[in-house]
Amino acid sequence: MNSTRSLRLPPQVGQPSNTSAMMGDVLVALLPTTAMAVFFFGFRVLVLAAVSIGSCLLFEFLYRRLTGQSDTLRDLSACVTGLLLALSLPATAAYWVPILGAAFAILVVKQFYGGLGKNFMNPALAGRMLLATFPVLMTNWSRPLDRLPLLGVDAVSAATPLSYLHAGTLPPQTPGQLFLGQQGGCMGEVSAVMLLLGGLYLILRRVISWRIPTAYLGTVALLALLLPPEGVGSMAWMTAQLLSGGLLLGAFFFATDPTTSPVTPRGQLMFGAGCGALTMLLRSFSSYPEGVGWAILTMNCCVWLLDRAGMPRRFGAGRFSVLREWLSRLRRNLAEIRFIKPNLHFTLIKGGKMPGEEHLDQIRAQAKALSSLGAVILATGLVIFGVHRFTDLDTARAETEAQQELLSQVMPQAAFSSEIPYRAVGALSIQAGYSEDNELVGYCVEVQAHGFGGVVTMEVGVDLDGRVTGVAVTDHKETSGVGTEAMTPAALRRYVGKSGTIRSSGANSVDAVSGATATSQAITAGVNRALAIVANLDLEGGDVSYVDGEV
Amino acid sequence: MRHFFFGGVNPAPHKESTRRKPIARMERQPSQVVIPLVMSTGAAATPAVKPGDRVAIGQPIALGQGLSASAHASVSGRVAAIEERPHPWGGVCEAILLENDGRNTPWSGRPEPLDPTQVTRELLLARVREAGITGMGGGAYSTAEKLRQAAGRVDTLIVNAAECEPYITADHRLLLERSDKILQGAQTLARALGAQRAVLVTEGDKLNAAEAVERRLRKRSGKVELCTIGTRYPLGAEKQVVQTVTGREVPPGGTPLEVKCVVLNVATVFAIQESLFRGKALTHRTVTVTGGAVARPRNLWVPIGTPLRCLLEEAGGLREKADLILTGGPMMGTPQPDLEVPVIKSTNGLLCLTGQERRPADQESVCIRCGKCVAACPMHLAPVFISQAVRQNELRKLPKLHPEDCMECGCCSYICPARIPLVELVRQAGQLLEKGGQAQ
Repeated sequence: MNSTRSLRLPPQVGQPSNTSAMMGDVLVALLPTTAMAVFFFGFRVLVLAAVSIGSCLLFEFLYRRLTGQSDTLRDLSACVTGLLLALSLPATAAYWVPILGAAFAILVVKQFYGGLGKNFMNPALAGRMLLATFPVLMTNWSRPLDRLPLLGVDAVSAATPLSYLHAGTLPPQTPGQLFLGQQGGCMGEVSAVMLLLGGLYLILRRVISWRIPTAYLGTVALLALLLPPEGVGSMAWMTAQLLSGGLLLGAFFFATDPTTSPVTPRGQLMFGAGCGALTMLLRSFSSYPEGVGWAILTMNCCVWLLDRAGMPRRFGAGRFSVLREWLSRLRRNLAEIRFIKPNLHFTLIKGGKMPGEEHLDQIRAQAKALSSLGAVILATGLVIFGVHRFTDLDTARAETEAQQELLSQVMPQAAFSSEIPYRAVGALSIQAGYSEDNELVGYCVEVQAHGFGGVVTMEVGVDLDGRVTGVAVTDHKETSGVGTEAMTPAALRRYVGKSGTIRSSGANSVDAVSGATATSQAITAGVNRALAIVANLDLEGGDVSYVDGEV
Repeated sequence: MRHFFFGGVNPAPHKESTRRKPIARMERQPSQVVIPLVMSTGAAATPAVKPGDRVAIGQPIALGQGLSASAHASVSGRVAAIEERPHPWGGVCEAILLENDGRNTPWSGRPEPLDPTQVTRELLLARVREAGITGMGGGAYSTAEKLRQAAGRVDTLIVNAAECEPYITADHRLLLERSDKILQGAQTLARALGAQRAVLVTEGDKLNAAEAVERRLRKRSGKVELCTIGTRYPLGAEKQVVQTVTGREVPPGGTPLEVKCVVLNVATVFAIQESLFRGKALTHRTVTVTGGAVARPRNLWVPIGTPLRCLLEEAGGLREKADLILTGGPMMGTPQPDLEVPVIKSTNGLLCLTGQERRPADQESVCIRCGKCVAACPMHLAPVFISQAVRQNELRKLPKLHPEDCMECGCCSYICPARIPLVELVRQAGQLLEKGGQAQ
């Protein structure tokens, strides 16, 4: 008999699964989702997944090897991180994007904290959210069933239902489409049914507990049911909220990561509820349409607290025993407070011991700690302030001002404009202009036409009656002094009030500026195109597709 | 109303090989039995015989006092020696060796059977003490002592036939084959103790036994309730069975008496019934001999003191090499490296596990904080934090984690995917805490 084994304490039997089997189960549970992603976006998905998994394994291997630690590739946790990272990317992501994400996830988030079981944030999610801070990499959602080539993906933008939800409207997809997977978004998010399948598999195999997903989805459902926006049915709103975006992926695969979720059952319920509440909060009020990622990462940071709060009640100690004990202790402590007469006898300084010196020593240490903390906070704040001050804000402000000036040129009666989620063939962008009283007064369409020297880009304002309210050229390559004659404010003002199709001569015409015929014709063509676009603008759907601003 | 206990696990039951096999007497009597003087909590019993004395079945050969129970000859024959012998709880213990003459002569001095109507509290306690009955589910606490404390103080008598340990079917068969006697015993006990309720608890995997009980309950006019609960380990643990039946939680460090319950194993109740109405002392018990390595697994009616080797021979010996032999179930059983140790009053099974059946021999890996141990602990502990505190030597964290509440049911170690020996660490934590408490 093997002596070391026979000496082992009970139990003598164990459930057959171990850590790598659990991780393997997660991979199996992700298979349907991956398959659906391949079906929707083509084989590029597989290549991205392979790159992601491969780089996760490589980074893990290198780090463990270089720091002389045991090899941990066989626990499969790096594979899970890699696949989850890949599935939370858009299918249009460049191949180097997952490598960057994997480096951050494996090296910084996982291994720097000691590897599997020690990290406090979900590595895959942290990697994905790092990438999300570069919006350029992550905002090109391709449409499902637009299978992508393996190389050279154009930046295309397609609908994600979340942007509609963010704007307070229902997405155009039916609940059935959302359920089966006709929605735009990350590779792993598009098919709710496959995610549910995977999640159920994990729960039935007891890899994850039911508590986190149930609390998470339940909270989201409840909040959506209780607080739908005006004009939207609560059931429809709840269904759309539950089925869109990364919620199911997050609830079943990211939030349930054992390492970064609480171990106590009650803590798990609180964790799920917190994730749900934060998700709804972020989806409704933040500048990003999606809140799942940040919600889970935020709750990850609260796990230590939830573990304490969710500690099981001692067996046999009676309900609320902890609270009762705390209250009685509080009462005792309060009863012990006595008002004492201060001792005002100062003794002479003896060997550096003033009265109360010991006390001061304690305070000094605390003050030191506090001031260094304050310094760190201050420095961080300054850095953040500086970054904001010199990057985003100025650019953003300049952009807003330019936008406002343009608007006053093309639609003087409008006070402000905002992007509307529609797109038509030939229009670079369509904005709606609103009056002071928030009333729609017209649309500003950005169009292009071919002039003498190249493309002329212009913004054309059209009011609700289909009349031109103003034209402004924003970009051109025409000859200065010749072609530009057709762009003078006086020349452009001649289009104001025109409607229908403008000709170059006869009725309803704007004459070409002599010497700048080609440019004039280009502008007329552009204005005509804008008029046609506005006339055909079908706000109820039709052949327009959504432009996703920011995700 | 049905109550639940928190946590627990569902180990593979493995009861198929013996659950349909009736309790059989041994075909070959053991030539020698070993009766240890320690078979219950408390001090060792005092031998009442000398080497060379002739004894008959049921004759008291060692007398217990206070917490310890008396021992009786389980075979007829001659006292061979009184010497130190290996004990199933580990180590060695003074034991009386009896040579079997194979005649099975009953003791002439055994008490008269009682009439069910004449059983009083005093009579019951005297008979149980005389018969040397101890808890037969594993606790080995003197039943007479337990009943003495419980008399008049309890409102619920729980007959525990849950037998949640995998493999073991001794109580299952006993309940199925002797349900009438068990019900009679339970009824008598409840009346004598002054308990309003008598509840027989069994699990969903013993439906045939539950059915047998129910059929007999319909015939009797008795008031025993039958409570069949979905199989989950460790339902059979005392505190959990009390919680499931009454919803009451036994306070930390306490016994079910504090919540007005008394829990008796079904085999104990049977032994009490035998002692009251047939005048028999506790000399035999049911033992399940099973496990993947056993050639013909079966339930046996064996004289107490029979060496495990004889049991194994009775079951056809080993079919393949046993990786581990233990008494009791695989969750809480004790490994037995020596097959000469005897069956004692609390031995309900002899289990020979093959290497495949045992806990997978994976290396221990790092804790991934999955929390399964917390969700599985029926005592509301957090083994993950206790083990961390022990390994990082953070003793000040221990008192709040209450490792002393652990009953070593093994759920946490069973469920742990990282194969961390949690039971061991929690036990260490309890010991550390005790030491720390003494130091202060």
